[in-house]
Amino acid sequence: MKVMICPLNGPRNISEFTYGGEFKPMPNPDTCSDSEWAAYVFNSEDTLGVVREWWMHTPSSYWFLAERHTVTDDIIRTFDPRELFSTRVEFTAAQPQEIAG
Amino acid sequence: MSNLHAQPLLDVGALQQCALIDLTALPRIGFRGTHSADYLRVRGFELPEAPNRAVLQADGSQVARLSQTEYLLLGGLADQGQRIADEEVSWELDHNANYLLPRQDSHAWLQLSGACISEVMAKLCGVDLRPEAFPVGAVAQTSAARINVIVINLGPIDLPRFQLLCDRASLAYFKAAVLDAMSEFNGALLEPEALRH
Repeated sequence: MKVMICPLNGPRNISEFTYGGEFKPMPNPDTCSDSEWAAYVFNSEDTLGVVREWWMHTPSSYWFLAERHTVTDDIIRTFDPRELFSTRVEFTAAQPQEIAG
Repeated sequence: MSNLHAQPLLDVGALQQCALIDLTALPRIGFRGTHSADYLRVRGFELPEAPNRAVLQADGSQVARLSQTEYLLLGGLADQGQRIADEEVSWELDHNANYLLPRQDSHAWLQLSGACISEVMAKLCGVDLRPEAFPVGAVAQTSAARINVIVINLGPIDLPRFQLLCDRASLAYFKAAVLDAMSEFNGALLEPEALRH
């Protein structure tokens, strides 16, 4: 059984984890273009080599980041997202545009 | 498994050997948020110092810390969990980051007790739950019998016991799986009254 080290719960069977997609910096939703936002939401880089990915330890619903080699499937490092996210991200709701009519 | 039906009579021997008790009727709740620790301390709870640790309270309630900011509170038998039930009622949403997590209907609660609980769990769970690796005060959030469970070790030395919490809708399945694993250790299903003595 492949083992992954959860930063919160320690080494666990890989079957306890859920893959959460590639880690990508979020573009500013207020200023980025539609294609940049679509690329962030829908598209994958599919890198050959070491990638950063979101993973969740399912029994504790704990999300963390992992660095994994996509060729060898070696998990190089797992770490708490607070290493990268130190402040809360606030979103301001865009004002709905009035439809003339 | 005809020998594994609930026994209404007290059975201290079974408790010491290998027993399962369904505590799902007892109150339990959770709190989560960056202000939850301060809130619970003011309410008189002693909190675990680190995630995946648990502390037995003076009144028999149990507090497990499931992450940096999440706590699970299990009611004690002495007051039938009334203190914990009251906490659920008295919580109010305010500007503090302290959110109530109702757990009564989301989680079922079983207690596995006796000398061979780590052997029983070894048949169901990949995590090492032997006393040297999983001492009193430890919490494991893992998979047992292929479903998500929380295992809390808060038993005294003379009566090892694990509190097992799983999805409420999976209680019948999980109870049967644990009882099946217990059968080779002469395990018994007891009523909660067995813990009163």
